[in-house]
Amino acid sequence: MSAISIENLTKTYRGKRGAKVDALKELTLEIEAGEVFGFLGPNGAGKSTAIKTLMGLISPTSGSATILGKDITTPDARRSVGFLPENPSFYDYLSAEEYLVFVGKTFAMSGPELKEKTASVLNRLDLWEARKRPMRSYSKGMVQRVGIAQVLVHDPDVYILDEPMSGLDPLGRTLVKEIIKELRERGKTVFFSTHITADVELICDRVGILVAGALQTVRPVQEILAAGVVGYQVKAKDIPQELFSYYNADSQAEWLSVPKADLGPVMARLQAAGSTVELVEPQRKDLEAFFLDIVAHSQA
Amino acid sequence: MRTPLLLTTSSLLFYLLLIGPFAGYLQNRPFIERIGYVPSFKVLKLVAADHKEVTASFLVMKVLMYFGGLIELTQNEVAVAPDYPAMSRLIHNAVELDPYNMDAYYFAQAILSWDVGRVDLANKLLDHGMQYRTWDWQLPYFAGFNHAYFLKDYATASRYYQRAGELSGFDLYKNLAGRYMQEAGRTELAIRYLSTLEQGEKNLAIKKSYQLRLIAFQEVQRIEVARDEYQKKFGRLPASIDQLVQEGLLTPPVDPYGGNFYLQPDGKVATTSKFAFATKEGSEPAQK
Amino acid sequence: MTSMISVTLKGIFRDRVFQGILMTALIFLLIPTVSLLSMRQVTELSITLALSLNSLIFLLLSVFLGGTMLWKDIERRYSYGVLGLPMTRSSYLAGKFAGVALFFLLTAIVLGAATFVVVFFASSLYPPERPVQWEIIALCLFFDVMKYVLLVAIAFLFSTLSTSFFLPVFGTIAIFLAGGATQQVYDYIHSTAGDTLTPLVKQAASGLYYLLPNFSAFDLKVNAIYGLSTSFSGLLLTIGYFLLYTTFILSLAALIFSRREMR
Repeated sequence: MSAISIENLTKTYRGKRGAKVDALKELTLEIEAGEVFGFLGPNGAGKSTAIKTLMGLISPTSGSATILGKDITTPDARRSVGFLPENPSFYDYLSAEEYLVFVGKTFAMSGPELKEKTASVLNRLDLWEARKRPMRSYSKGMVQRVGIAQVLVHDPDVYILDEPMSGLDPLGRTLVKEIIKELRERGKTVFFSTHITADVELICDRVGILVAGALQTVRPVQEILAAGVVGYQVKAKDIPQELFSYYNADSQAEWLSVPKADLGPVMARLQAAGSTVELVEPQRKDLEAFFLDIVAHSQA
Repeated sequence: MRTPLLLTTSSLLFYLLLIGPFAGYLQNRPFIERIGYVPSFKVLKLVAADHKEVTASFLVMKVLMYFGGLIELTQNEVAVAPDYPAMSRLIHNAVELDPYNMDAYYFAQAILSWDVGRVDLANKLLDHGMQYRTWDWQLPYFAGFNHAYFLKDYATASRYYQRAGELSGFDLYKNLAGRYMQEAGRTELAIRYLSTLEQGEKNLAIKKSYQLRLIAFQEVQRIEVARDEYQKKFGRLPASIDQLVQEGLLTPPVDPYGGNFYLQPDGKVATTSKFAFATKEGSEPAQK
Repeated sequence: MTSMISVTLKGIFRDRVFQGILMTALIFLLIPTVSLLSMRQVTELSITLALSLNSLIFLLLSVFLGGTMLWKDIERRYSYGVLGLPMTRSSYLAGKFAGVALFFLLTAIVLGAATFVVVFFASSLYPPERPVQWEIIALCLFFDVMKYVLLVAIAFLFSTLSTSFFLPVFGTIAIFLAGGATQQVYDYIHSTAGDTLTPLVKQAASGLYYLLPNFSAFDLKVNAIYGLSTSFSGLLLTIGYFLLYTTFILSLAALIFSRREMR
């Protein structure tokens, strides 16, 4: 069973003077249990619309979706979901600890379990010192970390995170990435939106790219990265002169710049010449270039 | 930084210059303006929502403050014509909002019957009040007095006194009433009534008004006693009050309302002030 | 839902609403003095003033606390996080409402105590002719709270209809005034004075009478002030009216709120 199954989900807003705005066009997507899925798209692409629809905050114009087999129109669908809204804001008169307890109780957690879990999550997100202070005194990054904490506190199977890294400093971003990696190791499903490709490259199994409300492509990150290899940097000792003069682009000693198609023959000739190959490094277009390509294509 | 500072200090300075004349202007506004415009009770009832009783009390207070101010001015010998119609209108509005408000009936009795000379209005209000304040002996007591003293309708007066006696549990009113149910007892009836009320009154303005009226009636009583003595002595009624003074039967009486006492042809004592401060010319109490 | 109630209550207390009430309640201290202005009914005036002050405080609370309760959650985007939890919109709404209602009850107990102290003091200065009927004063306070809780339900209904706070605040005030007047208007059109009205106007007025809340039934001030007895069956009917009307308004609000888009 898929963790999240979305079928032909469409959301049309009625704009000013009856003008229709297609925020989401027939989105169909399966998120497998245990995968980390990056939902990539430029600002205003409809990522938040899709996530809010999944969470029942807005109702779809047409189409349907289920989370762990439960229809999203029922509150039951949210029972095993941890949801982080975009730029979250929580009852600012409560302390982080109180809010976590409130969330835990909503998920019917028992007292001792909740207490223990709250403490460990607060520690994990470096909020322990501030746990008794009302959240109105928190910085933006701290509120974002409370957002992550309230997702983790009830240990759900599915995590739906809208821009989890926004508003965080580099330390915080690293922390969140670590947490997502841990969740994957524990077999949890993570579905998160972002517009930063580097985040996806590091932690996602698959990526879906949404542009102007329409899903452009869904591919495993590794596949994109592999397909993006354009050539290799080869480091070797005693390189034959003719190879060196042909492939050395920047006159660096011991380094060759080999196009993707030539790697086999070059390796064979190096071996034949008795050179010792020390390092082969793929050179590739990164995910960002891939993403920009897709966006440019879809707009063309 | 300098501009706001300059503005703050200069505005404060001008405010201090203005506040004196401003307060003076408000203090010296005509009384009708001070009593203010009060919308009809129909409007008040809608706007007052669940604060009808407070609104009624507020109206009565307003009248009372106004009246208190008048009494004070009279003491300082400033002749001001009271606006009785406006006061009467406010009292009527008050009992429409809260038909149980005793202050309104009490004040209406104190003012309408004596000062305005509209006993009919006062009686109407008292009857209205009796429908609601079914336990209250004071309302029939007032009505009894009005009928006996002003209207000389002794039969109706006895009925009201009877009721007051039953409600209060005192036979006093019934017994007292009998003695005064005749023309000769009028002045004593009034004095008795006024001194009873005066003793129970704690509002200074109202108390003052009772005291003034009491003094006036005590003067009347003095004149009456002298008149009766004169009649006994000479076998005829005196022609004037001066005659009584000349005969040494009376020290010159003073009307606290600023009028002059005189004897009517039938020998009755009257005063040019009619026991009230000067009324506004042509003003009539509002009809309900 | 209980956690929603406690979060709502915490919010009300931490936003210093209660301190605000206590500040306003300082006016209670003036009541005995002001009551002395009365000529013939010092105690009655003190009861009048105290009860009216209570009503005023509750009116302000209903309009500004009840009317901004949902608006604030949405405006400050608290609602995204909360409604993303496995909680129905109805129980969110019911929890918020119950929180406010509970706060009203607590406030009523405190203000009721203040009322009793003030009236007791005033009545000891100038003992009233008729003894103060304490139980009717308590009853009056209780029905006053009911009335304003009903008004909060109406404020909630307006909040679900609009994204701004203008409709909840001004709509609630309008309904408060209209609801206090319906009985008078109804009595008027059914009196001889109403004969001059056209049948259409009469029907429209009758229709509004049945539609709008009838707040005059909850007003026991005259009974409390003058110690007039109350009708037991009438009060029972009023409680029934309160329960049904509030349930209807709240469920309507929940129905609308469930369809609301949290964009």
